[in-house]
Amino acid sequence: MDFWSEIFMALRRNKLRTILTGFAISWGIFMLIILLSVGNGLKNGVNTNFADRAKNTYTIWSSETELPYKGHKANRWITLTDKDIEYLENHLYHVDEVSPVFSKGGTLIFEDKSKSVQVEGVKPIYKNIEGIKIKEGRFVNENDMKTKAKVVVIDKITAELIREKINSDKEMENPVKVRKTKRYKKNDVSILGQLVMINGINYTIVGVFEGQMWGSMGQCYAPYSTMQQIYNVNNKYYQLSFTTKGLVTKEDNENFRKELKRNLALLHEFSPDDQRGVWIDSSMLNALETNKIFNTINVFIWVIGIAMLISGVVGVTNIMRITVKERTFEIGIRKALGAKPRSILMSIVMEALIITTVFGYVGMFIGVGLMEIANKVLESVNAGKGPNDVAVFMNLSVDIKIVLMATIVLIISGVIAGIAPAWKAVNVKPIEAMNNRS
Amino acid sequence: MIKLEGINKTYFGAQPLHVLKGIDLNVEEGELVSIMGASGSGKSTLLNILGILDNYDEGNYYLAGKLVKNLTENQAAEFRNRFIGFIFQSFNLIPFKTAVENVALPLFYQGVSRKKRNQMALEFLDRFGLKGWADHYPNELSGGQKQRVSIARALVTSPKIILADEPTGALDSKTSIEVMRILREVNASGITMIIVTHERGIANLTNKIVHLKDGVIENIEENNVKSVDFERDIK
Repeated sequence: MDFWSEIFMALRRNKLRTILTGFAISWGIFMLIILLSVGNGLKNGVNTNFADRAKNTYTIWSSETELPYKGHKANRWITLTDKDIEYLENHLYHVDEVSPVFSKGGTLIFEDKSKSVQVEGVKPIYKNIEGIKIKEGRFVNENDMKTKAKVVVIDKITAELIREKINSDKEMENPVKVRKTKRYKKNDVSILGQLVMINGINYTIVGVFEGQMWGSMGQCYAPYSTMQQIYNVNNKYYQLSFTTKGLVTKEDNENFRKELKRNLALLHEFSPDDQRGVWIDSSMLNALETNKIFNTINVFIWVIGIAMLISGVVGVTNIMRITVKERTFEIGIRKALGAKPRSILMSIVMEALIITTVFGYVGMFIGVGLMEIANKVLESVNAGKGPNDVAVFMNLSVDIKIVLMATIVLIISGVIAGIAPAWKAVNVKPIEAMNNRS
Repeated sequence: MIKLEGINKTYFGAQPLHVLKGIDLNVEEGELVSIMGASGSGKSTLLNILGILDNYDEGNYYLAGKLVKNLTENQAAEFRNRFIGFIFQSFNLIPFKTAVENVALPLFYQGVSRKKRNQMALEFLDRFGLKGWADHYPNELSGGQKQRVSIARALVTSPKIILADEPTGALDSKTSIEVMRILREVNASGITMIIVTHERGIANLTNKIVHLKDGVIENIEENNVKSVDFERDIK
């Protein structure tokens, strides 16, 4: 007890020294936490953006050839047809379900509101291929396909635009009632069954989907057969998407992509070495690519983190050395007055231990606290964002075990750093120590 | 109380320095002895050996009947703590401790409780007229006050001997007289005292003057101090 109060008194009376040592420790831990959690946040944020997509889907885009081949000139446009769908579905084992995609830009008009949209004509299976989440109503179904129904599934933001318009119309009709009941809640009004006009054609809204679009354009899905009829596409496809089965590893996917390209080259008579002709995109290979980036970022963060820790250790070591040197005079007096070497050594080591522990904890506390605040801010920022925006950072987090380990490393190194010079100081002759006034 | 037999000490530096060349000395209990000599005569080394702050190469040193030789650090610390009180020229007070804490420090190493040792320290400060300064830090005290604090610190453990290394070296003559009067009073209470000095005036206030020259005792001079001499002798 007396031993401790003696140590605490020494710490209190040497505030500057205590704070400087402590600051080095706190700073090291603090920066490590910030670094690791920002790295994790980046990873979480980008992963969420990708998570909505079903993992293993392929998309084929038709394109122009680059090389002349078998009497065909270069720059020939390759068109995909029903034959390709038939081929994909029946001759390639790994292909599960195929949907052609027909994209058309246009303007969506609801009463006096309008918005630029991209309409995609797709088959019902496209919902699974793209991992589309339905918020209200339903997706395009087989019946729509058969009857070539003029129905449309719209994105959340566009739906909001229409809902607001309906609400304001109601307010105009019956202003008194609305004021009494405050405002209509957004979700009170169903927009299903409303008619919208896209490029001069009326469609009935049958569903709203939740999803993240890139850019500010709206996104709509309509039955493929409907679009085919309206835009007179016949049997030409520009994009085919399909899900796969049995492709597990990166190697599987790479082999499959090569095989697919070779077969399509054969079918459409373009050079298998042609870089173009068709584009084949694999979501899994993309994901692996993204993971690779994250692994690199992770390694980078760890390298910086460890460098930080080392600089912290060096800082602590230096301060401990200076501290002990500075205290040589005091140690000399204490020895002359009958302090035993062990008691002096213990008090120095304990001081180091207390400083590193307390300030390590402080750094940890501030770091984790700041991280939590940043999380709260991010949450509200991300919540305010529409589906068009991308969350870059999400859920900043750090493995508390790693932080504890780092703190312990700093504490131990601080103590070890203190022991060597302390041992030297303890063994110096009291007279020499006392003459060594700084 | 102190018995030295053929003490030899050599410092092994770039050039070996034979500082003490066979010192024989007896100091009886209650004596007031001064060691005089020019700088380089070996008087500080002798004091360090007497204070067990340094070890010697040859000979025997008996302190209170016990042979002080080849002690471990712990034993030496124990001896210093129990038997010896130090007074230094530069006071050597710990700057971040108050007067009372400085005086109480030796008792801390004896394991005396905080309350008890602060009370004892306060009593000793009171004895030297410093009760009102107990909670002041050394840099708030005058030279004479600092030396009185360090005398209190030397006495608080009731040591057998007091070793003073140029106790008046950093003080003006008026304060020196005061400090010497205190030291004589302490000696009169029965504590053996050895004072190292190069000032004749200070040595004249001790009962026995040991003249050291080039590592050997030149002569030992008996000195009869009359209280009347006191003010005059200090110059």
